[in-house]
Amino acid sequence: MLKNFKHEKVETNAGVLLVLTMLAISAGGLVEIAPLFFIKDTMENVPGVRPYTPLEQRGRDIYIREGCYTCHSQMIRPFRDEQLRYGHYSLAAESKYDHPFQWGSKRTGPDLARVGGKYSNEWHVQHMIQPKSVVPESVMPNYPWLMSPLDYADIGDRMRALRVAGVPYSANKEEYQRNVEKFGADVAKTLHIPDARNILVAQAQEGNFDGDRASVTEMDALVAYLQVLGTMVDFSKIKPEDLVKYR
Amino acid sequence: MEWFADPANAKSLGLLIFFVTFCLIVLWVYGSKKRGKRLEEHKNIPFLDDEDMKDKSNG
Amino acid sequence: MSATNAAVAEPYDYDVIKKFAVMAVVWAVVGMFVGVYIASQLAWPVLNFDSPYITFGRFRPVHTGAVIFGFGGSALFATSYYVVQRTCQTRLFAPGLATFTFWGWQAVIVLAALSYVMGYSQGKEYAEMEWPIDLLILFVWVAYMAVFIGTLMQRKQAHIYVANWFYLSFILATAILHTFNNIAIPVGLFTLKSYSIFSGAQDAMVQWWYGHNAVGFFLTAAFLGMMYYFVPKHAGRPVYSYRLSIVHFWALSFMYMWVGTHHLHWTALPDWASTLGATFSIMLLLPSWGGMINGIMTLSGAWDKLRTDPIMRFMIVALSFYGMSTFEGPLMSLKDVNALSHYTDWTVGHVHSGALGWVAMISFGSLYHMIPRLWNTQMYSIRLINTHFWLATIGVLLYITAMWISGISQGLMWRAFDDFGNLQYSFVESVAAMHPFYVMRAIGGMFFLAGMCLMAYNVYRTIRQGVLAAQATAAPAAAAA
Repeated sequence: MLKNFKHEKVETNAGVLLVLTMLAISAGGLVEIAPLFFIKDTMENVPGVRPYTPLEQRGRDIYIREGCYTCHSQMIRPFRDEQLRYGHYSLAAESKYDHPFQWGSKRTGPDLARVGGKYSNEWHVQHMIQPKSVVPESVMPNYPWLMSPLDYADIGDRMRALRVAGVPYSANKEEYQRNVEKFGADVAKTLHIPDARNILVAQAQEGNFDGDRASVTEMDALVAYLQVLGTMVDFSKIKPEDLVKYR
Repeated sequence: MEWFADPANAKSLGLLIFFVTFCLIVLWVYGSKKRGKRLEEHKNIPFLDDEDMKDKSNG
Repeated sequence: MSATNAAVAEPYDYDVIKKFAVMAVVWAVVGMFVGVYIASQLAWPVLNFDSPYITFGRFRPVHTGAVIFGFGGSALFATSYYVVQRTCQTRLFAPGLATFTFWGWQAVIVLAALSYVMGYSQGKEYAEMEWPIDLLILFVWVAYMAVFIGTLMQRKQAHIYVANWFYLSFILATAILHTFNNIAIPVGLFTLKSYSIFSGAQDAMVQWWYGHNAVGFFLTAAFLGMMYYFVPKHAGRPVYSYRLSIVHFWALSFMYMWVGTHHLHWTALPDWASTLGATFSIMLLLPSWGGMINGIMTLSGAWDKLRTDPIMRFMIVALSFYGMSTFEGPLMSLKDVNALSHYTDWTVGHVHSGALGWVAMISFGSLYHMIPRLWNTQMYSIRLINTHFWLATIGVLLYITAMWISGISQGLMWRAFDDFGNLQYSFVESVAAMHPFYVMRAIGGMFFLAGMCLMAYNVYRTIRQGVLAAQATAAPAAAAA
């Protein structure tokens, strides 16, 4: 068989070359990617992980708009130094509502996967406006324009797009009920698309992230997002041995 | 059959597939002197275009 | 010779190639300038000027987009159209479609850059373009595929030369990668904003499958295609071993697609996937070095030219950097090395030793070979090419040395413990310690950019000289007629 096969067939026939090349380049992706969509075991089943509230999601959009991922990762690796510096290693479940993922590839600045709750809102606002004022050696740019008003007119459209992508935001009563069962009533309320604008404004005023209750700014959204990062899972309630099998 | 479906075995399976295919290609390419000679002739294709023809005709 | 040429119609379609060649040079200057600028921002943050449009985060994709897709892409379009015509001894299939690929591709680069500074980004590295631009890329790519495969089909030479295989696999792979990685749900028909259909670990997997193969097929396979034509052609010697090229083509095409997961070592991605990626990364060394050896052995019979011909020097240095970075890559994919190198500047250095050392240098060599032939003239100045060569080489060396030192020191500082078992350094101490190396890196970039500007000037003078000569020969011919 080997003798009858002529590589000339491949070299002289563009169609055959095309098909064989296609086969060669498809194999790797199929074997590595396909299982992630069919195997349930790749993600831990941990309580607490929920979709972002409208305000947090808008903060996340700003995080992406400013390209924060070019300097900050959101993926803590299971090493002793990272545990001490950043906290418990990141779980796949913690980014399951992240469209797109923001694990990053570079730490020009520190990892942010568990930055939530580490600093006060005031610190974040000060740091965003002028990082050197709180960290003199910082090379981070100033972001003074984040104090401008947040455009949240299209928050419903954004949540609907995310819902199509698979995030369980609720568009109707049934979906709302399902969320109540899954996340509890308090969380379910924040995931309801018809109420999105009111929820967003209420969270911004209540949280007072930028130190000004009168207006909803981009800073409100971004700080709300940063403050929730890595805080959804309560690790005091999880046994390490339950997590190991997913690695 | 189950062995093939287990993702934990993908590593060994991938290695096996790769290695067999690779050996076949190498055997095929270097297996016969005659074939080798024929293959090596193709390396002159870049020199068959008209620029070189022209150079030759111009001396 | 030029007189006969002007009289007879060109045997090949050079028009679209000329356009792409010029834009490759333009985008190289623009993209490298932005690169130097963002490198300087890291050394001197005041350069961000509190302006949203030019902050590092928004400007960095402008740099990567302009150099990878603007410079690299245009150079690949130009050389692939050139090589496929000459090795198939035929004209381009559907030249109108080829012209569309030119304008479409330039529109992609410009729109992408504008959208980034305006704050529109998908948030996925090297795939930051939002959905309308992604669709435009798809159209351009299908047209490119049609032109390339159509030209292959109408060839007058029975055998398809190996350079075309590499170009073909690059075109196919890029089509697949681009399509799958960019599936997203737009927020509305009249807004650029969209959300990736994938999330978390799945998105990470798809993204780095895309990300690494953008390196593997866009920046490696395609440039190997370039190498397989321009190195033998310029050296005046056929490729060292055609059989080796067959073996390493199939091995490379097959194996590259497996290795993307080495970008996700120690993350929340399942362990088997990243281990598989590492295994293939190590094996990938063989086909990579197959290509390097084939290139270097082809040049080895022409060492004498190396002393006098700076274009040859570009090619040999490009191949050496290719060999170096394809050795460094598998090394960094080892989990223990990766634990240190990941998230640090070492990765940045590795990318640039491949991108500046291999991709840019082989492109310079090829463009310097091709441009005078397109305009039927000689390069304006060989001395300038030589100066460009030295500036570029010194620039890369400075760059990667700076990044090695800073990358390894970052890795070591982050994991250092004091005698009491506490972390020895705060994060910001590592930032402060990097300052001298960021300055050094920016200077390396400036060297490289300066060389690039010389090239732009040299190319401009060459084209002018070619156009003037063509006019001079055309005028008497017209008068005689």
